[in-house]
Amino acid sequence: MKKYLLKFVILLFLLINPNITFGQITIDIQATFNGKSIVKNSWYKTAQKDSIQFKKIQFYLTDFKIKTVENNIISIDDSYFLIDLFKSQTLKQKLKETVIKNIKEISFNIGVKDSLNTIGALAGNLDPSKGMYWSWQSGYINFKIEGNSPSCKTRKNKFQFHIGGYKNPYKTTKRVYFKVENTAKESITIHINIANFFDQIDLKNENQIMIPGEKARKIAEILPKLFSIDD
Amino acid sequence: MTKKGMYISLLISLFVCSGFILVKNKELLFEYPEYWPKPKYTFSNNTLTEEGFQLGRHLFYDPILSKDNTISCASCHFQATGFTHVDHDLSHGIKGRIGKRNSLVLINLAWNTSFMWDGSINHIETQALAPIHNKNEMDETLENVIKKLETISNYKKLFYKAFKDSTITGQRTLLAITQFVGMLNSYNSKYDKYIRNEVGGEFTAQEKNGLSIFKKECASCHKEPLFTNNQFKNTGLKIDETLNDFGRMKLTNMPCDSLKFKVPTLRNIQFTKPYMHDGRFETLQEVITHYTTDVQKSATLAKELEDKIRLTDKEKIDLLVFLRTLTDKEFLFNKRFSFPKSLVTNSNF
Repeated sequence: MKKYLLKFVILLFLLINPNITFGQITIDIQATFNGKSIVKNSWYKTAQKDSIQFKKIQFYLTDFKIKTVENNIISIDDSYFLIDLFKSQTLKQKLKETVIKNIKEISFNIGVKDSLNTIGALAGNLDPSKGMYWSWQSGYINFKIEGNSPSCKTRKNKFQFHIGGYKNPYKTTKRVYFKVENTAKESITIHINIANFFDQIDLKNENQIMIPGEKARKIAEILPKLFSIDD
Repeated sequence: MTKKGMYISLLISLFVCSGFILVKNKELLFEYPEYWPKPKYTFSNNTLTEEGFQLGRHLFYDPILSKDNTISCASCHFQATGFTHVDHDLSHGIKGRIGKRNSLVLINLAWNTSFMWDGSINHIETQALAPIHNKNEMDETLENVIKKLETISNYKKLFYKAFKDSTITGQRTLLAITQFVGMLNSYNSKYDKYIRNEVGGEFTAQEKNGLSIFKKECASCHKEPLFTNNQFKNTGLKIDETLNDFGRMKLTNMPCDSLKFKVPTLRNIQFTKPYMHDGRFETLQEVITHYTTDVQKSATLAKELEDKIRLTDKEKIDLLVFLRTLTDKEFLFNKRFSFPKSLVTNSNF
């Protein structure tokens, strides 16, 4: 009797303890510049022939959803990740959910969804003290890239792209969808090719975008092209 | 087990369990007259408590929010003058840096639909970010404020009391400030008592006449009971070429927003000089003169001002006398809103 009681208590403890999950899907972020790893103080060359170095690359990946082979769509709670390419601990994220078998498709936002820009001060990765929320005007910075290039005739040759904006017609949050080939996934790798960000950017003429507007909207269109899924 | 043993084990279990009973915070009531419209902000994700209010009050009066610990919110939002910066057309922040706009009053903010003269802030909870980060005001970052607060054991205590957790986050700092400023409500002026037929609200003939002039000429924008309709209007002010401030247009990039600024509340207006977004008018007499004589026509001029406002000298005086009835001494001298005695600052005053 005592033996069964002990097992029952352990099982009960496991079932009610929120910290014990029966499996989680891990998201691995792997960012490169056309295959080269991204390191501060290294030089890279863009498609427009600008030589660049990176100082900051931070962006939000949020609202993850999984579609199963049975076409059920499961929203992952609390999936708001602030990725910092120079902070390796942010490159591995866990999707809070028990193991989901038979994944057909994964989707997420690049940036923070529009409605979260108007409801005040939020917590965790969305806390306004994380440096990704504009102070002089309400709203999130969805994607931030800073660095320098001799092509920029700016102070310290800096380029600064703070891509944000949640109001029509200058919305910048993009949702992306990826098919998953191996349906019994426990870990999904998101590849990001930062080089694609600069595909259409001529740094001599375009190097400071720090407000919502047409320029930010246009650059946001490129963002989905940076992302792919490894399978 | 014996009966005695059972009683003892029961008592012990009760004792142990009582350690887990949460001590609830004292919830504060957000009160306002029942004939008022409902506020926009309802504290739904920021439960108003005495502890949260007191923490916010400390933060409001603490210059620790500024880079060199000299400027607090209260530096530009002084209670006795309606929580604005009296006598300054443009406010100055740390190191005497001068800003571009006049300090707005902090009155009845839970009814605001947007914040700042151009509405650039869309939510009361994130408003404090603007002065904290502005180079000419506090020139600080919320991230750094948190680091500073973490070194002060009194704040750890206050945060624990307010949030049942001594971890200081940006969100909690902003929510606490919101609990304080959201409670700065004014609805007990002589005018309010007149409307409610209460003792202290006995209007003179002059005040009554002033109210009727106000209703006819001013209330379309300065709508009762908040004395603002929360909209953005071009009031025909000549552009100040030393500032070239085109108002909301800079935010929205839309020509139709040129020279438009938020309609501010007129409550406590007697004490909140100088007036307008750039503080160009020192006296209410000048304001009235502007509206009756100096309104500049332009494509975006408020339609409410298209027809000239004509007032006799007597009517102007009656209007002024009425505006003084919007003074709410209970609000201006409410001790709960004043400098908390338990605040010890590292201020360099």
